[in-house]
Amino acid sequence: MNNTKSIYYPPGGILIWIIIYLELITFGMAILALAYYGSEERELFHSSSLKLNKTIGTINTILLLTSGFFVAKGICFFKAANIKKALFYFNWAMLGGFGFLVLKSFEYYEKLEAGLHMDYNSFFRFYWLLTGFHFIHVLVGLVILLVITFSIRKKQTEASFEDIEASASFWHMCDLIWLLLFPVLYLLF
Amino acid sequence: MKDTISSTFILLLALTIIAAFLALNVSAEIMATAVVTLALIKFWLVAFQFMELKKAHPFWKYLILGFGGLMGIILVILL
Repeated sequence: MNNTKSIYYPPGGILIWIIIYLELITFGMAILALAYYGSEERELFHSSSLKLNKTIGTINTILLLTSGFFVAKGICFFKAANIKKALFYFNWAMLGGFGFLVLKSFEYYEKLEAGLHMDYNSFFRFYWLLTGFHFIHVLVGLVILLVITFSIRKKQTEASFEDIEASASFWHMCDLIWLLLFPVLYLLF
Repeated sequence: MKDTISSTFILLLALTIIAAFLALNVSAEIMATAVVTLALIKFWLVAFQFMELKKAHPFWKYLILGFGGLMGIILVILL
């Protein structure tokens, strides 16, 4: 295990943190652009935001946070060499992530049925692009968690601790992005 | 050993419910600042507790604090 107090070894390794900051900056700039256009067209963004289902948004936030909690617990047990409990928590984390994707897909279906597609107005252009890219990140995170879980299960020492921690960091990054995205899209206009 | 992950999780859930409540019940001027502040607290809780940045070099801690702070200030100004 590396010394995480060193500037070169943040938890999960420096490479995953470079990716995390690049992603945060990219999504951050897009969220600020959404807020800027929202301040220019307040009425349009307000009426469009009312068309979003806040209950689904809140449940999705809870699902992602719960999933992140399970990953953090899984890491703790993996560190303590309790592989069985670590796997138990990683499985629940994946279920939470899967629940997020299912609920988000239902929300997308509802929007498409109502004719609220990407060309409907500028608010929905931001909605589809930002939540769509976030959806892809959650999907990728889920695949990474699945691969890591299989790797641990197959041969318990195959995956290094840093691999597991980097995968967990990627998963938490999806939480971080959603925590900024959710209030701006669903609550603030 | 204190279970900080579980207590962080309970705090995160509470803050999510408070943010949803504020969005429905508070005037728009106060609401923007309150909701952005709560979102940032959750953002930092996930980064420091779940991602264990609390154990990292100060450079990484200040970077995440700075990024969140800058986002929050710009959002409050714009909204």
